[in-house]
Amino acid sequence: MSAPITILLVEDEPQLLRVVRSVLEGEGYRVFEADTGRRGLIEASTRKPDLLIVDLGLPDMDGADLVREFRTWSDAAVLILSARVEESAKIVALDSGADDYLTKPFGIGELLARVRALVRRIAKSSEGSSRLTFGDVTVDLARRSVTRNGEAVHLTNLEYRLLVLLASNPGKVLTQRQLMHDIWGSAYAENSHYLRIYVSRLRQKLEPNPAEPVHFLTETGVGYRFEM
Amino acid sequence: MFPEITAAKISWRAYLLALGGCLLTTLAALPLRHLLDLANMVMLFLLTVFLVTLKLGRGPGVLSAVVSVVLFDYVFVPPHLELIPSDAQYLVTLAVMLAVALMTAQLTAGLQTQTRIASSREQQTRRLYQLARDLAGAASRWEVQTALDGYLGDSGYRAVLHLLDEGVAPQHSTADAELGDFVQDVIRRAKTLECPKCNHALFVPLLAPSRVNGVMVVTRSDDKARTPHEEQELFETVASLIAIAIERLHYVEVAEETHLQASAERLRASILSALSHDMRTPLTALVAMADSLTLTGRVAVASTTETATAIRNQALAMDQMLGNLLEMARLQSGKAVLRKEWQLFDDLIASSLRQLKNTRGSHPVRVHLAPDMPLVKFDAVLMERVVVNLLENAFKYTLPDTPIDISAAMEGEWALLTVCDRGPGFPSGRTEDLFELFVRGTPESSKTGMGLGLAICRTIVEAHGGTIQAHNRPEGGACVQIRLPLGIPPALDHEEMMS
Repeated sequence: MSAPITILLVEDEPQLLRVVRSVLEGEGYRVFEADTGRRGLIEASTRKPDLLIVDLGLPDMDGADLVREFRTWSDAAVLILSARVEESAKIVALDSGADDYLTKPFGIGELLARVRALVRRIAKSSEGSSRLTFGDVTVDLARRSVTRNGEAVHLTNLEYRLLVLLASNPGKVLTQRQLMHDIWGSAYAENSHYLRIYVSRLRQKLEPNPAEPVHFLTETGVGYRFEM
Repeated sequence: MFPEITAAKISWRAYLLALGGCLLTTLAALPLRHLLDLANMVMLFLLTVFLVTLKLGRGPGVLSAVVSVVLFDYVFVPPHLELIPSDAQYLVTLAVMLAVALMTAQLTAGLQTQTRIASSREQQTRRLYQLARDLAGAASRWEVQTALDGYLGDSGYRAVLHLLDEGVAPQHSTADAELGDFVQDVIRRAKTLECPKCNHALFVPLLAPSRVNGVMVVTRSDDKARTPHEEQELFETVASLIAIAIERLHYVEVAEETHLQASAERLRASILSALSHDMRTPLTALVAMADSLTLTGRVAVASTTETATAIRNQALAMDQMLGNLLEMARLQSGKAVLRKEWQLFDDLIASSLRQLKNTRGSHPVRVHLAPDMPLVKFDAVLMERVVVNLLENAFKYTLPDTPIDISAAMEGEWALLTVCDRGPGFPSGRTEDLFELFVRGTPESSKTGMGLGLAICRTIVEAHGGTIQAHNRPEGGACVQIRLPLGIPPALDHEEMMS
């Protein structure tokens, strides 16, 4: 069996640190901890964690700066914990390379679900499959075809590219800026309504109930997240 | 606007006309010279001098006086066509004629000037009266400046107000700094000063009954106009009118501020009372439930899982309340900036529903979206807060399993979003009050809450230029309807948008 997944937890509130650590260890992860940003960076370089969980409001440095620095030398998954209701702080952290965020207060169930999704992604990324499957939809990357319940679904070129970008990053929050940049190019950065219209079209074509989507999820004010 | 009172510009044409007048009189009088006495001939010339002065002013009048005497002497006084009169007594006639002609010219011109001054005074008074009326209606400093600009019109003067409340003139360069010093000087001495270095600009203090409000700087925009200094009295009158208007505005502001402070005070009092009641009650429950977990065995209590779930729900409900409270504080501080973008209602409804997946319970939610709902411009985060609050109310105040309906439609220039439930409905007749801060349908309700939700909804919707209304359905149940202005959605110019 392979080595256990390691998680580095950077959080300055001791109660929260204690309970999150015990829950993660209960799930079989190996957990390291740090209570300041500086300690966190040192731990990260020595422990080489598979997943970094960072509180945005650290006493000694901005969590977003820590993420940016960590990203310069690591591809590991990053989950942000934020007490701020301000969307802008989250967006900065996500644009700096974080994969997902949780707003305090969050439930343990939700935390574990996010951690599992990110860990699964680490495992998946090494496989390199030519096929994506979610719900009753199958995307054949080699043949550029999409089928739902075995029936072909027609997608325009842009719809297809958006679908592949979202679906190949399951569980990851993609900010409006990242999506606009990757699909339409930076010239269209101001036209974020294109993105909304396209996501709405993907929902109409691929969601079981477009009014209450389960795959193409809106992170209001931030961007979109794809769930398997 | 300020008519020239001194000698009017008199062109060479006026002098030529005066000369022509004299020649015409001579020609007209020529056939009469045998019928009329010389003394009566003089009268014809004096009439000419009078008329010329009346029409053309002092200069041409004097010219016509002299020319008349010369022509009269040359043509009519014997010997004819010679200047030196044959009889010495004619010298007296000529001298008297010259004197009378000059005096006529002088008096007539003086009278003209008087009339002109009187009429220009009257015009000035009328304009000042108009200015006073405009200033009385001015509701802001900007309108005061507009009234002043309107008064000056194209008079060739420009006036700028430097008001004390706004900090005197930004100083970018040494020239500006000099101007600033001058303004300070005028304010300190409360006296009108002329600045000879700056194109004869006139600095008039705005003297109000209680204080100096600032300075009016008058400059010439037309170099032909007189220096502002020469119109000092007039500008001082204008300045006193403006000073009174500014003073009035100042007191209006003070009164408004006092009123605002009083309502902020009231708001704070109601926040405190709401906090102490509505937060303490659920906190007490939390403490009791946490205690009951450690007391297991001694007292008959509900199962651990049940208690833990209750604690969790209570804490989450309090978090939602705190979120509303913070949001309200942010909105009321006036610092909240709307991040308006073109959004889809289906996105808004979907994300609001997902936020509530834990509080939704067993309520079926039916979404009715009108086909072809256009993009609507709003701040998605704030509007999600509105929809979440409405849905949460619906979940909270209705029985489990009763359906909730959300519908989106268009009506004229409005996008409508309606949330309806099948619960008891709003207490009749109070639907307007419900949107006030800290007003709850049932004041001491057993449901957690502090009467913030709908107040925030209204604040947010109104910040978007929309309205929010509550009503009860005839078949039972409450409805809240939001109207947002539709606007003109951006064109979708991307090649694939059409496919």
